Amino acid sequence: MASGPASIDPPARGPRWGWLLFSFTRREVLGRYAGSVSGLAWTLLHPLAQLAIYAFVFSHIFRIGVPEGYPRVSYLAFVAAALWPWIMFSEGLQRAMASIGANAGLIRKVAFPHRLLVYAAVLACCAIHGVGFIAVLAVLTALGDPIHLLRLPLVIVLLVPYMLLATGIGAALAGLQILLRDVEHGLQVVLSVLFYASPILYPASLVPQSLRAWVEMNPLGWFSERLREVLFLGSPLVPGDAIAALGCVAVFAGGLWVFQRLSPHFEDFL
Amino acid sequence: MSDARTLVSLRGVTKDYPKVATGGDRLRTLTALLFRRHDMPHFRALDSVDLEVRRGESLGIIGENGAGKSTLLKAIAGVVRPSSGTIEVNGRVGALLELGSGFHPDYTGRENIHLSSALMGLSRRDVRERIGSIIEFADIGEHIDEPIKHYSSGMVVRLGFAVATALEPDVLITDEVLAVGDESFQKKCIAWLERYRANGGTLLLCSHSMFHVQTLCAHAAWIHHGRVRMLGNTFDVTQAYLTWHEERNASQAPAQRAPEGPYPRVMKAWTEDGAGEPAATFAQGGTLVLQAQAYEPDDRAPVLLFGIVRADGTSIYGSHSNEGDFQPARSAPRQFAFEVRFEPLSLLPGKYRLRVHALDAEGLRLFDTLDIEFVVRGETRDYGLVALPHQWRPGRAVREAVGAS
Repeated sequence: MASGPASIDPPARGPRWGWLLFSFTRREVLGRYAGSVSGLAWTLLHPLAQLAIYAFVFSHIFRIGVPEGYPRVSYLAFVAAALWPWIMFSEGLQRAMASIGANAGLIRKVAFPHRLLVYAAVLACCAIHGVGFIAVLAVLTALGDPIHLLRLPLVIVLLVPYMLLATGIGAALAGLQILLRDVEHGLQVVLSVLFYASPILYPASLVPQSLRAWVEMNPLGWFSERLREVLFLGSPLVPGDAIAALGCVAVFAGGLWVFQRLSPHFEDFL
Repeated sequence: MSDARTLVSLRGVTKDYPKVATGGDRLRTLTALLFRRHDMPHFRALDSVDLEVRRGESLGIIGENGAGKSTLLKAIAGVVRPSSGTIEVNGRVGALLELGSGFHPDYTGRENIHLSSALMGLSRRDVRERIGSIIEFADIGEHIDEPIKHYSSGMVVRLGFAVATALEPDVLITDEVLAVGDESFQKKCIAWLERYRANGGTLLLCSHSMFHVQTLCAHAAWIHHGRVRMLGNTFDVTQAYLTWHEERNASQAPAQRAPEGPYPRVMKAWTEDGAGEPAATFAQGGTLVLQAQAYEPDDRAPVLLFGIVRADGTSIYGSHSNEGDFQPARSAPRQFAFEVRFEPLSLLPGKYRLRVHALDAEGLRLFDTLDIEFVVRGETRDYGLVALPHQWRPGRAVREAVGAS
């Protein structure tokens, strides 16, 4: 095994690293609320509380309605279908960004492929909120919302590129964050702008025509709308999904490139 | 090309650490890293290090704090990527750069064994097979199922070392980790390391304990300012390193004590060579001169006593100035200067201590002690402490004296 300057980061494949990725992910999930009595329940309750607040404020105070295209769908279900994927995305992104700094001790002392930490951060968010998402969809179906549960595999197909997008951006930011601590603060601002700028709490059809192009170019808007179409209308995959997926893979590859360029130098700065 | 027995080979390994004091530095470094340019502000931690470790030949790494020892070990372990040069490792590396560094305080010892051994590269099956022996080696009883944060630091160390023992690496890198843990656990670790070496394992040990380096490694490398200053037999290298330390200490002015108080005392003492230059290293058979200045409150010449002991405290020889009609030089009121010449110096190579004591004018009461360390160098195959004058002659083979009959 020659390890010249180019290959100090061992390849992240093979059973060995697969097991390490699994261990990291398990640690992320279990460690989230280690020391609290109800443990994982909090990770499910937190988005539920958010959903309740938004549903109350936007449907009872601002009186935003569900558009004509979605018959019999409650506002609660309308928001839930896009809120959980958003939480997976934003939380996965933030945790991926913080994963290198949070494991500084490991990086300084042990040789392993650093990107596993980024993957584990996103995977843990997918696991936790994926379970929450399915639970919420099941409850909403029981309450009478017309949800096509048989379309769930399609939802997962749509979520994979969405999460790849989070991983790619998260990896690049994780690398930059080590040198520029400003990244973390910038991300907070960007994420809160993005949340309200994407059609998550409101339908894209409410956006004025002059701004509509912006919403349609926003990949988060695209995924939110598509998830609703699949869940509530039973829409099949469309060619646009493939284009969006390709874009996400490109971002993932680009983000990983930045990460891999900086990864051998993490130890220098931590 | 390196032959099959070469386990670790470093060629021209240089490591520059970027300096990022200002925001501008950070941005410049970032672009340099992204676009592989090399014009960032830096300092050099390792400077073209060439090193070869062969299978079964353990190597001790010694040097001052900040000399680059840890960076070197980290580079071999794959944690640090060198700025230039190549590192080749033909085997599995186990690195104990800091015991327990992969542990999470909120998880139990057992859970931490799982993660930490996954980090060291063990597969799930390996871990399942070995977890029993790991727990047995750590020997921390039922604490194994408690969160690590409730452990004492010694227990964390036990667990960390136990995980490392399970890895069975071809080369084990340890960075000053033997210094922790209680006496019995240290013995257990040393015993394990001895067995590991006997079974063909190779050790890369970084330590400030010359004893550990000499016990566990046949070869040593002395790292100084990021370069290999000396490489070879452990005893030669450790001795040279210690001597260098002695010389550096000796070049500092000797401690001066004020000439006051009701009792005689040694004000200062130092060693010098035959030409009168202060020195701390002497050639076997050369000249060692002890210079001492003592204070006596009644202005009567005090008695000076010296003793030579080996570094471990074994006494070799001692004598005092209270013989014959010797009179010290009176250098100032109540101050007296002594000189003792050892010529030829018959001590064998090694590290020694000169103890200088001041006694009252009658030579009855001992008041004060001052220690000076020095080193004797030389090439000899003699044993012991001193060279006794002797001659070799052809023997007679019969017991009676010649000419008795």
